[in-house]
Amino acid sequence: MSNQRQASSASQVPHLSPAELSYLYTSLSLPKNPIRPDGRSPTQFRPLSAETTILPGTNGSARIGFADGTQAIVGVKAEVEKTVLAADTLDSRSLAQHGDALNREGEEGSAAVSGQGEWVQMSIEIPGYRDDDALPIFLGEMMRESLVGSVENKEEMAGGLKARLVINKRWHWRLYIDVLLLSQPLSYPLPLLSLTTHLALLSTKLPKLKSTGEEDPFFDDDWAAAEYLYPRSKPSSGPFHPVRPPVTILVVSVGENIIFDPNREEISVADAVLAISITRSHDSDALKLLSIRSIDPPSRLTQSGIPNSENVNMIGSTPAENPSQEEVSGVWRPRRGGVKRSVVARMIKTVLGKGGVGEEVLEGLEGVEVH
Amino acid sequence: MADRRRINGPPGGTRPPVYASLQESTTGAAQRAQRQRQPAELRKIFLQTGMIPTASGSSYLEFEPSASLAAARANPKSLIPPSSALKVACTVHGPKPLPRSAAFSPNLVLTTHVKYAPFAARKRRGHIRDASERDLGVHLETALRGAIIAERWPKSGLEITLTIIEAEDDRWWGDAPDSHDASWGLMNVLAGCITAASAAIADAHIDCLDLVSGGVAALVSDESNSASSIPRLMLDVDPAEHRSILSACVVAYMPARDEITEIWLKGDSSRAALEKGDDRSSHEALIDGAVDAARGANTVLSEAVRESITRSIAQA
Amino acid sequence: MPITILPPVVEDQSPYQADSDDSMSVDSDEDVEMTGVSRPHKRPRLQANSNIGTGIVTPGEVVTDDPQWMRGHGTYMNPLSTSIIATVAGNVQKTNKLLSVHPLRARYTPEIGDLVVGRIVEVQSKRWKVDVAAPLLAQLPLSAINLPGGILRRRTSADELQIRTFFSEGDLVIAEVQSVHQDGSASLHTRSLKYGKLRNGVFLAVTGTGGSGSASSSVKGGVGASAVGSALAAPGGSGTGGVVRSRRQVWTHETANGGGEVDIILGVNGYIYIYKHTDGADAASSTTENVSITRLEEVASSSIYSSQNDDISPQTRREIARLSQCIQVLVQYGVRVDEETVTGAYQASLQVDLEVGDDEDEEDEWRQEGREYLQGAKGGRIIQLLALDLAQQKNRKKA
Repeated sequence: MSNQRQASSASQVPHLSPAELSYLYTSLSLPKNPIRPDGRSPTQFRPLSAETTILPGTNGSARIGFADGTQAIVGVKAEVEKTVLAADTLDSRSLAQHGDALNREGEEGSAAVSGQGEWVQMSIEIPGYRDDDALPIFLGEMMRESLVGSVENKEEMAGGLKARLVINKRWHWRLYIDVLLLSQPLSYPLPLLSLTTHLALLSTKLPKLKSTGEEDPFFDDDWAAAEYLYPRSKPSSGPFHPVRPPVTILVVSVGENIIFDPNREEISVADAVLAISITRSHDSDALKLLSIRSIDPPSRLTQSGIPNSENVNMIGSTPAENPSQEEVSGVWRPRRGGVKRSVVARMIKTVLGKGGVGEEVLEGLEGVEVH
Repeated sequence: MADRRRINGPPGGTRPPVYASLQESTTGAAQRAQRQRQPAELRKIFLQTGMIPTASGSSYLEFEPSASLAAARANPKSLIPPSSALKVACTVHGPKPLPRSAAFSPNLVLTTHVKYAPFAARKRRGHIRDASERDLGVHLETALRGAIIAERWPKSGLEITLTIIEAEDDRWWGDAPDSHDASWGLMNVLAGCITAASAAIADAHIDCLDLVSGGVAALVSDESNSASSIPRLMLDVDPAEHRSILSACVVAYMPARDEITEIWLKGDSSRAALEKGDDRSSHEALIDGAVDAARGANTVLSEAVRESITRSIAQA
Repeated sequence: MPITILPPVVEDQSPYQADSDDSMSVDSDEDVEMTGVSRPHKRPRLQANSNIGTGIVTPGEVVTDDPQWMRGHGTYMNPLSTSIIATVAGNVQKTNKLLSVHPLRARYTPEIGDLVVGRIVEVQSKRWKVDVAAPLLAQLPLSAINLPGGILRRRTSADELQIRTFFSEGDLVIAEVQSVHQDGSASLHTRSLKYGKLRNGVFLAVTGTGGSGSASSSVKGGVGASAVGSALAAPGGSGTGGVVRSRRQVWTHETANGGGEVDIILGVNGYIYIYKHTDGADAASSTTENVSITRLEEVASSSIYSSQNDDISPQTRREIARLSQCIQVLVQYGVRVDEETVTGAYQASLQVDLEVGDDEDEEDEWRQEGREYLQGAKGGRIIQLLALDLAQQKNRKKA
């Protein structure tokens, strides 16, 4: 039952004693220079090892592992599918037979040209969770939303990922992104899954189309001729990957401090937890914000400590009928309330700003050799 | 997951017929609804608590239908109305003891269920909650948990059930799903759910830090050529009234503490036109806009809660 | 650089050498060589006079069919034969005529007298269930704790009603194994002023006696880890490091950089707690044996059931974080964790900081900020220094 209850929330609740929580919170909220349990700086990520194209049976795949043994594997598979317009829209095809004016407005054809978000399917498998539990669904929606939501106006990939999946008006690719976490997560698994998905998509190849126009599609069976889902440019001209999938970064705030890539203990004392999806903007150098989601901080579910003055087991204490609400130094209180707008703005700024963490993460990912 | 307990309709859902001739008429129902409110003007909200006598607390929330919808209902030209308005019913059960098998909890255990009625949207929904409904439930839980003082109710559970009787559209029904086919209506639904649930919790006399209310702001572009047009910031958008929504944000906000308990922003907010002299970045403007919308909803919310108290005093 | 993404490391799969084999077959009555520099090549006596399999056996492997041996843990015998067959993968160990196989990685099995750190997972009406990284939850009866009010009194129904005010879910306790039941589950007690609720510090879980902790898995990730690790491997016969039963499980460490005194508890079960040293606790532990009744009252009630942390300076917090990282580095490289190695690793980490600090003075701020993270490349250096240091100590002792 306790498992079930944890699963119903988006975040897991670790069992930590009030004394531990209080120690952690004070260490992490020390002004200017928080002390993280593993000595990292606030913006430092845990080192990872990454490799791509590890599964021959997929269109693209990647694996990322943390030093603590947590690993994620992502496999991307693509299938050709006939385009059916969604049932809740006008039946444009029957209208089209009338050849009326609507047809020429180009509106009804747009679904076939710019693609649909539903063509990207994402499923996340986390050991210990059912596939309809809140956590995998929440994570999946979060990552899919930024993935299909990024619409680029750059020539290499106009219209973003969705448009890239269009073969012609009647056919499209359906992309299955299957994320597998190999062990029960030791921390909130979002950054791990997001980085792995990023690399897997970069290594994804689709067979080369041989047919043209509105014919039924057929493809080159030479795998070597296959084209990358995210097109690559010649090594000589500019960046190797002109367009890259978005990345989701987990940020927490503790007191005045903003901390990246929190581990399980750190996230359990956080005042606010945000998942921020970013990508490189191609009109300018700046990073582009794609989505923000707040995640329920587990600190709200923790047990509060009892100050010595109210502890019935202490001499000279007065057991209070109604536990007092004010803060006593060294005593843990579960976090209440929300987060100030200024804190949210600061968290976003640390990610997006020039030379900020988002840029560093993307640079780090660009350094990974994708086969 | 297939629903094996019921005999369901055809899986694709059914929808009323559309007659092509209507589409061609320039004055007919196929006209896109136009926003007639100011950018910062909210729709009117109907909110009442204590509608369901068997629940510990309950509320019913309804958004004012847009002008075009009201006109279409008064003088129907098409079987399908041009837009829809949100209607949500919320019930709160508890605090009640946790089941015997449950582990000890020092806090009130909150569970939220958001369910669309099968007839809530144009496309029929099944009886089993799908991914977007579960996703909404998680968002709502995050929003409410920050407001409830959970340690006042140890070892007990609180169940919040929201039934969406009529949902907001994701886009104008005449539009084909285009590149902006994200589920924008979901954000309006979430904002409504937060406000309704907050009223129901207050009705159930659960300790809260503040009444938390939801608000939505969006960057919309109404020009036909979306690439060249400059998106504008609008509060409380009805997705059916706009050609495309570039980015939207929903917040759950507690005005007394000036704190946000839940934020969900999505879409590309990089190309927004703000007023001159406004040096906020566009996502900040979006969040501020959503907070303003939530502030507006909060006035209705506190009035509704006060009203229910005076009503119960009058009855006593 | 806030993020480092490395290519995957291919672990050295050096073929098994005959030399290292015999170091794995440990005779429990013999001191194990620690130097690891150049081991004298000696064949185990066991193998010389009987046909017992080499050091490491796998389940189903016949260890011996000589009827003179008795069957111990980790083995079984077919009813109609005399051969002893291993049931776990591990080292063959012999005690006189008893043959047993010690698994390389296993869970903690409680033994009477073990000092353990545990976490309360469930509160029942008259006892607590405690997670001690063993296969079964241990129990801590209400009658086995020091009740407040000083006098060693009987528990009352009032105590039962407010059982959660002593220990509640999630609380960490330090306790001693009082008895072990038939099914292997342990019964704990905290009837000493050394024991009680833990606060003012950090918890970490590593591998326990010859086995693995539940929350942290030991990963062999480092380059050359196996080479150095084998030199420092736990003498208990396990090659994976972790905490082993030793002379001192609790000690006070004088930290550098103004951190003051820090206490370290190495629970035999692999749960470790590092916390700020307080004088009150010191007085309590040093006078446990002959404390007067009135004094007991004073001390027992002062802090045993408190969940309020004292004021701890940032310097102390930093050194506590350093110590916990040192232990994590030890675990990562498969080195046993005890007072000697922890102290050594701590000194080594200070030395590494000096080395790094010298040539990185003018680096940008990013690098400065990440300096306290020890688990990357610095970990390897710490282990090198530690191995060197321990080897020197050993030689000095011999000389």
